[in-house]
Amino acid sequence: MSRSQPNRRRLLQVRVPVSPLQALVSSIGIWVVFFGGWILATSMGWVNPILVPSPEKVFRSIYVLFADQGFANDVLISVARVLFAFALACVVAVPAGVAMGAFPAIDAVLAPFVSAWRYLPAPSFIPILLMWFGTGEEPKIALLFLGVIFFLITLIADHTKDVRKELIETAMTLGAGRWITVFQVMLPAVLPNILVAMRQMLAVVWTYLVIAEIVASTTGIGAMMMRARRFLHTDQIMAGIIVIGVLGLVFDRLFALLHRRLFPYLQESR
Amino acid sequence: MAAPLMQVDRISKTFALAGGRTLTAVSDVSFTVEKGSICALLGPSGSGKSTILRMIAGLETLTSGTIRLKGQEIDGPGQDRGMVFQAYTSFDWLSVRKNVEFGMRINGVPARERRERAEHFIGLVGLSKFIDSYPSRLSGGMRQRVAIARSLANAPEVLLMDEPFGALDAETRWQMQELMIEVAEASATTVIVVTHDIEEAIFLADKIEFLSSHPGRLREEIIPDFKPAKRIRNKEQLLELDGFAETERKIMRLMREEGQH
Repeated sequence: MSRSQPNRRRLLQVRVPVSPLQALVSSIGIWVVFFGGWILATSMGWVNPILVPSPEKVFRSIYVLFADQGFANDVLISVARVLFAFALACVVAVPAGVAMGAFPAIDAVLAPFVSAWRYLPAPSFIPILLMWFGTGEEPKIALLFLGVIFFLITLIADHTKDVRKELIETAMTLGAGRWITVFQVMLPAVLPNILVAMRQMLAVVWTYLVIAEIVASTTGIGAMMMRARRFLHTDQIMAGIIVIGVLGLVFDRLFALLHRRLFPYLQESR
Repeated sequence: MAAPLMQVDRISKTFALAGGRTLTAVSDVSFTVEKGSICALLGPSGSGKSTILRMIAGLETLTSGTIRLKGQEIDGPGQDRGMVFQAYTSFDWLSVRKNVEFGMRINGVPARERRERAEHFIGLVGLSKFIDSYPSRLSGGMRQRVAIARSLANAPEVLLMDEPFGALDAETRWQMQELMIEVAEASATTVIVVTHDIEEAIFLADKIEFLSSHPGRLREEIIPDFKPAKRIRNKEQLLELDGFAETERKIMRLMREEGQH
């Protein structure tokens, strides 16, 4: 008996792309279901309204927070912390990662060190960071920095090691020395992947931001959420979560845009 | 007669493997390459032909023996020995023009001369229309042409090619072989090409070094002297020549013998 697969349409097909319409309906649909369930649960009284406020209340409190309670200031402080710490991490990680990927002698020194640190959870440093730096900006920046630096270095080093050998050897047979090979061949070859690694790691910085601001801060989105908890303002806590989510999304989109702008040749592929 | 451009003298290469074992890939190989000639390194897989080419390029150290270019012993890779690989090596972030200018730029050729030479060699490989395109827009055969132009524009003493057309489809491959003859003639370049394609070797080469496998040794030097002094430029002409079939048969026999042990 033959067991051929008929070509008729099924809902689940291995690696058959969906139509744009189906993609649109699907992506909106999941959110409709999510908010629908939320609205249903709160309006039917299935949940305690103090613990689970209605979406309407949450969005109203986003407005109130920004309009009347100076939340914009908290948001700006949080964004500044994220960007500053992340920039600092990149300034260290890009040269370190590329150097590790280019020179095995540097990799031999740094890899054992970096990979050990990767397994130490950054939040476990909070107590000692507080003792070293007090409660100012420094311990928060330090936490965000520690949270991503080792992952970022490892990712960039791995991407640099993936630069194809033939590219490097081509450069050398064209007369390039090691510095030209590193700066004019390996670096431009790996740059798109470095940007991808940054994009992934920026999301992680946001995670540590909330931890830093919840533990020891009077300013920022996380601090606002902890204040709200004291007064049982679950709507404000959720508002904070949503704002962080939106910010994360915005930065992710910005990185995607930057990637397209910086590397037009990757879009020209047929 | 003047000394040959390149003298490969009793070179060997032994690789250290895991567990303290060793593998001798190339054993006691000697040959010479005359200026302006095309030399093919032909042999079955495991004959060390690519290893020999990589040693000439300076990308692999010698276990013993010497390689001399214009009498100077080579040490490490350099501009005088440009290499074209089987895998695509376009610098994707640079346009075709910038790719071809790359070698000249890092070697300090003035901008104007760079520009002229790049345009000349891009024209020679038939890519003038694509001079400002990124390589990602080009087909496989076109990318290999960029690689060839990039090497030639850098004015190497010898152009090394490691199965340069191996990844191309059959039609593109013979077009590239014909182009190669044309380009070698026009630029008077000395070429050493590694191949396992018998017909390719006979078509391109003035001299074929046939290598046996495990370890790679020089088995026989074949000079396809049935070919006219002036290189023929299309493949049909080659197939029509008296002596082609015989040479091909002879090399096939050698290949088959190699396969038997």
